[in-house]
Amino acid sequence: MQSVEEIEQRISSARRSFDELRAEMARVIVGHESLIEQVFIALVCGGHCLLEGVPGLGKTLMVRSLGEVLSLSFSRIQFTPDLMPADITGTNMLTDDPSGRKVFEFQRGPVFAHIVLADEINRATPKTQSALLEAMQEQSVTVGGKMHRLENPFMVLATQNPIEMEGTYPLPEAQVDRFFFKLLLEFPSRADLARIADLTTAAPASGPREVLDAAGILHVRQWVREVPLAEVVKDYAVRLVMSTHPQQRQGNGSGGLAQRFVLYGSSPRGLQSVILAAKARALLAGRANVSFDDIRTQLLPSLRHRLILNLEADAEGVTAEKILTEVAAQVPEVE
Amino acid sequence: MEALVKKFNEILGWERRKRREQTLAMIGCVTFAFAIVFLPLNGFLPRDWLRWTVPGILFVVLAPWFFYRAKWRHQHSARAVAALDKELRLAECAVTAWEISGGAELGGAKLLVLQRAEAALRNIAARQILPRSVSWPMYGVVPLVLLWLALLWLDFDRPYPEARHLGPRNLAERVREYSRELQDKAKGEGLRETLKFGQELEKTAQKSYEQKTPEESLRKEVAGLAQQFTVPASRQDKNAFSSGETEQTLKDLKTELEASRDLLQFPDGAKNSDEANQRLMERLSGLPELKRQFDAANPGAGLGSSELKAFLDKLDQQVTKELDRRALIDAQQYLEQMTKQGSPERGENYARSEATGEPDPNAAGLHEKSFSKLPGKEPGQQDADVRSLPDLRSGPQTQVKGILGAGESSGLMLKGNPSGGKSALADSEVVASYRRQAEQELNSERVPEELKEMIKNYFLSLGEAKNR
Repeated sequence: MQSVEEIEQRISSARRSFDELRAEMARVIVGHESLIEQVFIALVCGGHCLLEGVPGLGKTLMVRSLGEVLSLSFSRIQFTPDLMPADITGTNMLTDDPSGRKVFEFQRGPVFAHIVLADEINRATPKTQSALLEAMQEQSVTVGGKMHRLENPFMVLATQNPIEMEGTYPLPEAQVDRFFFKLLLEFPSRADLARIADLTTAAPASGPREVLDAAGILHVRQWVREVPLAEVVKDYAVRLVMSTHPQQRQGNGSGGLAQRFVLYGSSPRGLQSVILAAKARALLAGRANVSFDDIRTQLLPSLRHRLILNLEADAEGVTAEKILTEVAAQVPEVE
Repeated sequence: MEALVKKFNEILGWERRKRREQTLAMIGCVTFAFAIVFLPLNGFLPRDWLRWTVPGILFVVLAPWFFYRAKWRHQHSARAVAALDKELRLAECAVTAWEISGGAELGGAKLLVLQRAEAALRNIAARQILPRSVSWPMYGVVPLVLLWLALLWLDFDRPYPEARHLGPRNLAERVREYSRELQDKAKGEGLRETLKFGQELEKTAQKSYEQKTPEESLRKEVAGLAQQFTVPASRQDKNAFSSGETEQTLKDLKTELEASRDLLQFPDGAKNSDEANQRLMERLSGLPELKRQFDAANPGAGLGSSELKAFLDKLDQQVTKELDRRALIDAQQYLEQMTKQGSPERGENYARSEATGEPDPNAAGLHEKSFSKLPGKEPGQQDADVRSLPDLRSGPQTQVKGILGAGESSGLMLKGNPSGGKSALADSEVVASYRRQAEQELNSERVPEELKEMIKNYFLSLGEAKNR
């Protein structure tokens, strides 16, 4: 059993690493501080992120920079309709061995990296999408009857464009559910836009410094799971998730947006995601326990892609964010 | 860790106390609100003083339910510690530590939470961090108590006078009610002294009722008043009626006197003549009581018109005075009995005892026979079986009202089963009370104005038939 001093040292170490990561990322990426924090939280929780934003907001740059800061291997896959699963996972190639005999050798695909950027994932066919999603879930790929383990830590950052839907294959709900977070990239503010212009049109600055390696990330990942969670806080998270179901009444007993516009509420994976992310947030904030605020903050990124809304919501322009915001406002912290 | 547990106990103890206070205030509010709402029902309480105990009874009834509902549960503790976290901005460190302190396994991270919570809570005072909040029941209970007291003091709990008859009333109320009945009777019969007595009696009773004076004091005042209105024997008229004249006889005489004003009018030419005397005697034969008085005052002699008028006026005054005197005596006897007995209504007013359906102990075995000239099956004839009364059960009054027409009406009043043995009451008490009851019954009869004359003539014709 670790001593209190060791735990305190561990917490301060995690916090320091995160602060350094934020500082290094800020040298390359303008704005998106919250997004970077969420991506890091997903990484230390062992999850994958679905990034949604219009082109040109720095998604690829951010993911690549993250790989550099964390000293992790990075690969990018541009999803297109003719992309095949073997293009992602890799394939057995017929090669000559040193003795001159013809043998099949497994040629690893781009999925064999710590951080994989699946750009415009919704442009590939479902068959190809499912190949990646299997890798995300199992953290391994099977080619020619042989299983190949992926890197550890392994994280997929998939992007999709919300405005160009023609010729796309929207991700099935079951596959979307496997993403730990769904993060939205906002258009930068006026000040941020000016800074972006300065940063990208001047002489290139030196790249970001490495602050954490794969081993460090795995340690933090373990520490996250040891953060104590009070029963009342856990109960709050459970009630929040339950309140996203149309069959459940919300805190004040009146029928809210969830009852009107949600077809299917969050899955249990949503609750796992909320709690784990809240623990990570508490750790990165230097706290030894999870607070109600941690739960509330992680509600949107964890659940927004897990709510299946009905046609009425689509017609009335009600979004999952709006529903979750109402749920968070109505459910009392302690029952 | 022990210090932390102690601190948590201190905080939760304070919160429990606050909750108990809130519950008590809530019970107080609800109790007095109910007591005020149900104030009009106080009249149904068997004892008057019980109305002061209503909130106490309600409190005892309601308190267990409220305390059960407000029972301290685990979630209340969690809520209290979470509130402490909010107040001190500990980001749920205290509530996590509180839960950890109740568990067995204590890892490094948990110990760190405990350590941090202990450091944060070490110097706090629960009463300052979580002060007592004054909720609406606390604001409401005192005004409700004051309102209830005021309403009770002002007798707002007695809006339904009829409800008060169901419960025992005090002496002042009974005397006041009797005085009003007495005044009604006196006004109806033109009894001046009785009317005055009734008015004075009502004033005395009202005063006693308002000032809530002891019953003993009222008894003395009533006795003094009765003494004041006693007609001394020396002041009685020499020509006053003897005690042998029954009250009914006097009433019959009074009725005949009123009827005689028309019957004894003769043409001027017939005055002081034998013919007039003869006609006078003929007409007097239809007024038996008046004839008896006339014969007693003027044996074998005729009277002139003016003399006859003077005679009738004098007789009328004497009858009224005698009725007044007797009514006063009856009233005094009744009051004497009322003030002596704890519950004089029983046996004295069968109208009340009939409401309860209980047999009247004073009337048991007695039945009153009216010697008035009640109609028989045929005018002037009495059935033989009138005296053999049917065996009726005691209890509610049995009254058969006559049907106006061919003489088929009859009146019969029975009170209780006749039984052997001696009466426990003196004759004077029984007769006085029963006479009064009988008179009340007669007065309470609703006779249409246009039929009164016909009835009067009918009774007079009965007297004529009897004489024949």
